[in-house]
Formats: sequence, C-alpha cells, structure tokens
Amino acid sequence: MIRMPLASASLLAIAISLAGCGEEKAPTTQAAAPAAESKQATPTAAAEKADNTNAYDEAAAKAVVSHYADIAFAVFSDAASTGKALHEAIDTFLATPNDANLKAAREAWVAARVPYMQSEVFRFGNAVVDDWEGQLNAWPLDEGLIDYVAKDYQHALGNPGATANIVANTEIQVGEDKVDVSKITPEVLASLNELGGSEANVATGYHAIEFLLWGQDLNGTNPGAGDRPATDFVVGEGATGGHNERRREYLKAAADLLVSDLDEMVGQWQAGVADNYRASLEKDNAKNGMRKMLFGMGSLSLGELAGERMKVSLEANSTEDEQDCFSDNTHNAHFYDAKGVRNIYLGEYKKVDGTMLTGPSLSSLVAKADAKTDETLKADLADTEAKLQVMVDSANNGEHYDQLIAADNAKGNQIVRDAIAALVKQTGAIEQAAGKLGISDLNPDNADHEF
Amino acid sequence: MNRSPLTLALLSVLLGACTPADPQQKVTSALADGVILPAYSSWAEADQKLAASGQAFCAGQQDLPQAREAFRAAQSAWAGLQTVLVGPITEGNRAWQVQFWPDKKNLVARQVQGLLKKYPQLSAADLEKSSVVVQGLTAYEYILYDESIDLTDAQQKNSYCPLITAIGKHQQKLSAEILADWQAKDGVASQFKEFPNPRYAEAPEALADVLRSQVTAIDVLKKKLGTPLGRQSKGQPQPYQAEAWRSNASLANIAATLASAERLWHGANQDGMQSLLGSDQDALKKRIDAAYLDTRQRLAALQRPLSELLKEEDGRAVLNEFYDSLNVLHRLHEGELARTLGIQLGFNANDGD
Repeated sequence: MIRMPLASASLLAIAISLAGCGEEKAPTTQAAAPAAESKQATPTAAAEKADNTNAYDEAAAKAVVSHYADIAFAVFSDAASTGKALHEAIDTFLATPNDANLKAAREAWVAARVPYMQSEVFRFGNAVVDDWEGQLNAWPLDEGLIDYVAKDYQHALGNPGATANIVANTEIQVGEDKVDVSKITPEVLASLNELGGSEANVATGYHAIEFLLWGQDLNGTNPGAGDRPATDFVVGEGATGGHNERRREYLKAAADLLVSDLDEMVGQWQAGVADNYRASLEKDNAKNGMRKMLFGMGSLSLGELAGERMKVSLEANSTEDEQDCFSDNTHNAHFYDAKGVRNIYLGEYKKVDGTMLTGPSLSSLVAKADAKTDETLKADLADTEAKLQVMVDSANNGEHYDQLIAADNAKGNQIVRDAIAALVKQTGAIEQAAGKLGISDLNPDNADHEF
Repeated sequence: MNRSPLTLALLSVLLGACTPADPQQKVTSALADGVILPAYSSWAEADQKLAASGQAFCAGQQDLPQAREAFRAAQSAWAGLQTVLVGPITEGNRAWQVQFWPDKKNLVARQVQGLLKKYPQLSAADLEKSSVVVQGLTAYEYILYDESIDLTDAQQKNSYCPLITAIGKHQQKLSAEILADWQAKDGVASQFKEFPNPRYAEAPEALADVLRSQVTAIDVLKKKLGTPLGRQSKGQPQPYQAEAWRSNASLANIAATLASAERLWHGANQDGMQSLLGSDQDALKKRIDAAYLDTRQRLAALQRPLSELLKEEDGRAVLNEFYDSLNVLHRLHEGELARTLGIQLGFNANDGD
C-alpha cells in the first residue's frame, strides 16, 4: 500500500487534473506521461509487458535457477553432515550416558539446526521438499506420544495418541485400534507420524530428538529450558525415568532416520543426475524456477515465520507454539530461517566449513530491471537480519524467546514485534521484485498440493 | 513499483477530479456504503447486545440459552465481517482479540483457567494486558459451552462471571471504536470514496484491498471446513479442530461469511464488483454467479451440524462436495476475477503451513 500525504499534490497537478477532467485522455504531455507510467505500475500490466519484452535475459535467469539448486545442494549437504555429527554424538552419549556427553549431544543438535533452518526456504514452492519435511521438522507436537510428561501437559483436543507414551508401552491404544510398538525402528517410528490423523502426533525428526535430549520445558515464560537428566538413558544403577532401554532405542532410531532422510534430499539436488528433482527444475523454463524461488521467500517470510512461528506465540503468549521449545533454541531457528530467505535473493550461502558459496543471483536480475527495487529489498533483508540479531543477542544474554513472549514483558514483546514488522515489510519488497521480473502470479502450480 | 510521489499525486488528482469517469471509484464507494459499513454496524450492534447479555446473565436476569443466543449472534456478525477485514481492524492485532482460531492445542482451556487463578476478581484492565486467547469470542464460547463447566452451579458461575462481563465489555469497546473510525468525518469510509487519501493513493488500491480480504476469507473457509474433514490428515476427521465446534455453529459461521462475500460481488444495488465486468466478460460473470449459487445450495442442503456430518461416510461425502464447490469459488476470485480487474493479490498470511 502506498501512503502519500495530500500535501505533495502540487498546484501543477491540480491544474492538470482540472484541465484533464471530462476528457477521455489527458490533454497535456505532463499528464499523459504519469498516466502511462501508472499503467505499467499495476503488476498485471507490468507482467504482460515483461512477457513481450522480457525483463531479464533468459540465459542469465537460467543461471540464477541453477545456482539456486547449487545452494540447495550445499545447504542440504551441510544439514546431512551436521546430522551425522549429531548421530555420532548420540552414539557416544548412549555408550556413556553422563552429563558431559548429554551436553555434547545437545550442542550437536543446536549445530545441526543451523544449516537445516536455512533449508526451509526451499520448502514452499518445491513439493519434493515440502512433502518430505514433515518427517524431519513437524511441529508443534504432543510429546506425550513419545515419553513421560508432566501432569498439567496440554495437548491437542481429540488427539487419540496424545498420551500414548511409546517409550513406556510395547503396544499403544489409538481409538479402537491397538498398534504394536514392541520394536522401535526407524520404520515403525515413521509409521506413527500423524497417528489417528492428528498432526500433533510427531514421532520422528529434530523435535522428537530435541524432546528426548532436553525433556519438557516446564518453566513456561520464565527462564530455563527442558532439563531431562542424563540418567534417563542409564540402564541399571542410578537410572531415572523408567523404560530406559526403550528410550535409548527410540533416540537411536530417530537419529538413524534423520540421517537417512537428509541423505535422500541431498540426492534430489545433486547435479548431473538424470531423474532427480534438480534435473526437472533445470529443464523447466527459468520463469517457473524463479517463481518457486520468490514464492518460497515470501511464504516463509510472511505466513510461516512472521505468522505461524512468531505472531501466534507472541499474541497468545503461548510457549506451546514456540519452534524449538524444549531446547530454547528458537532465536537461532528464526534467525537462520530468515537467513535462508536472504541467501536465495543474494545467491550466497556460508557453508558450515566457513567458505562462502556465491553465484548468479535474483538480486542481479532485479537490479538490471530496476536498481531501486533491488536496493530496497536488499535493505529490507538486512533489516530483518538485524532485528533477528537482537533476538539472538537477547537469548545470549539470558533472555530467551519464551521469555520475550510473556504477557507482562513489554520490552521483550517489542523485540518480537519488530522482527515480525521487518518480515512483513520484506514480503512487500519481494512482491515488488517479482513484479519487476514480470512474475505476477506468485503461486506456483504445484503449491496447491497441501490443500 | 516505481512511482514518484509527484507522479502519484498527479495521477491521483486526475482520477479524483474525474469521479464519474472512474468505475472503480464508483464501486469502492458503493461497497463502503452498501456493504462494508452495514457489516461493521451489525457487528458493533451484536457486541453491544453481547455485553448487555453477559451482564444480565451474571445478574441473574438472563438464562443460559439467552446468553448463548447473544453469543451466537455476535459470532455470526464476526463471521460476516471476514470478507471486509480492511482498515483499522487489521491493525494492532485487533482481529485476534476478537477470535483466536485455529486453537490447535486447546490453549483456551489452559489460559482461561490460568487467568482466573491469577486474577480471581478480574478487571477490564487485567484482561487487556492478557493473551488474545482469553479476550474474545473463543474464550466466551469455551465458558458458555465447554462440558467441563457448569454455569447452573452458582459457585462456578460466580467464578466465571468476571471474565464473561470483561470479555463482553472488551468486545463492545473494540467494535464501537472501529465503527467510529469508519463513520467519522474523513474516516475510513471516506477513504473508499475520495482519492488520494492517507490510506489509498487511488481507487484501484482500495478495490484491491477489498478483493484481497474477500479472497482470503473464502480461502480461510476452505481451511475451516478442510481441517475438521481431515483433508490434511490422511482423511481422518478432526472434529475438535473445527471453528466453533463447542457452539455447534461451524456451518452457520461459514454461511455468514459466504453471504457477505456474495454481497461484495453483487453490491447492495447491483453496484458491487460484478459491475466492473464489461459485456465482454459475461461468461465470467455467469460462472461466478453460478459458483455462489452452488455453494449456497449445497450449504443449505447440509441441514445438520458439522460434528454429526463428520461422523458418517455420507456426511463426509457431501461435505467434501461442498469443499470442492468452495474451491471453485475461491479459484474464480483468486485467478480470473483478480486478473480481469488488474489486481495482483500477492502473498497472504495463509501461504505458510
């Protein structure tokens, strides 16, 4: 929406408008020029114009889409390697379940989230990612499906698996059906996702592992994360929690599945494979590829990150709706989600090994079409990152996301609100940039598979 | 868009000065008076009655069925407002203060109980600084309908009454303030009639805002029906994920939203969005007319509450057909109508999960 003070309507403008009134076309060149310009400014008209004259060079655009696939490959490869590091840390912890090894496993989990969150921008627009990601990052979950929970545990209404407690039971009752879970394997766990149709039944992925490593965060909006003792994984003397053999099996199986899932997605983005997703993306025309890029950026910015992940938790003061709620790692989750959006626009990604991947970018294409639009979007993306950095700094200084969203924390609320506002603004700039490239329909054909 | 303020000013004044020649301005003006303002008036009126009803119920002057009736009227008025969520209601998270949905994790139960524990003698000020979950219709419905609450028990009624009256007052105040913003001289309604103004540089922007709200509302109806139908959860119905499941008003709310969407299309005097389609667009016009008729007829044929229909295979089948009908209506607005009117809808808040 463009808001303009009335005062900027000059006398000249009024004179011209009066002169033009009642005639089909404005009679002066001064008036005719803005009228023509305004036509182009309506996005549909701009899109049509682009179709005829092309707002970008097709070969250059193809290179941008290819580089997008390069970034995806690098990000998912990093997610897979840090996933394997997490798996190793879990093996070490299970071999010797003490505090130091639990701490190391938790640190490995936090590190694994850094590339994974930067992969989320690929979700929207690329069905191959979106259909796959539920098994890895579904959220929020009713953790009572997995293990013991506190007495005042709140779950989704009507979820028949909300208190099934797989760790404690070899057979679980779901409605009228009994499900055999005597053996905890990756396949069994995967089959339990969305048990009974409830999306809160999440048996696998980062958040299931997070819950097993940290346990419930019982501090609400007060300081502190989950505090599961390492002894929950001890067998024999000093063991706590109960059913520890099964809890150990569970953690191992969930880590196995995570690693194999991540490897699978790396394969989809590998260059030079005839029948993987990347091949089909590169075969398609550049416009469809760029539409997916822009759709992913906008959907993650607005509906998902600003909306589902921040606004809901903030306005409802609800720690139940916090992304990394067991570990209190939410600030990083948000930061790297937004970083992923920025990566796609700038065509860059800082790998886990510290090297920088750079290449042809949307930014360069937009700059050629309209330098100002490019500058605006770049500035907005930088501003969002700065606002999220405030959230990260706050956490590093001891005040975490779940404290920021407390009803009586005006200052904390403002930090979240500023980040939301920056994301909303950035989404507007993404739409403008899309318009400059002649992409007006931001809903890719395959984005409707969800509903 | 690369428009300098001067260019905008020139253009806008040009358009403004030529009122009769601008069909879009004619439509936004007619919609403001004939559809949008009446919807906000009905909502404010229903909330006034809700506040009065809450007080009367707590004073023993109204019984529970009467209190529930006032609630359902307020809820229906809010449903009717969904297609015209433009202007001040969209600012400062006011819409969420009226209703919190989806409530996937039953936050309303936990937060209402937590609130009353914290403030046994809850005041209006206490409510205003609390979560949006407890400030509006979602919490009101929970108190009036939830199985765990027995308002015929005097002690329970006493414990909930401070919240019942505080929500009523909060809703009344909120809706009255917004209505006043609309009705004021140089208020929001005038911003749909004269351009440029501090909200819109030109009529097409105002029209785009209304169409966006209408399309989003129809899209959300698909979510409100599709979620309990289990369209995203392996086809297994999720009755508790429906909107207004406690008051059994899920379908009534959908009907109210659909009716207001259709009013935007037709206009109060055949001067709504359809009047912008020229004679060469007759085919599209007819298809949209037919889509509204189809959704209306299917909804009317359902007859029973959503929760009952969800239990039976036949019921789910007709609900799925109704969903498909809503989908057709949504696609026509989001695609062809938007394109024909030259409006880019862009991202909306539902583009996430």
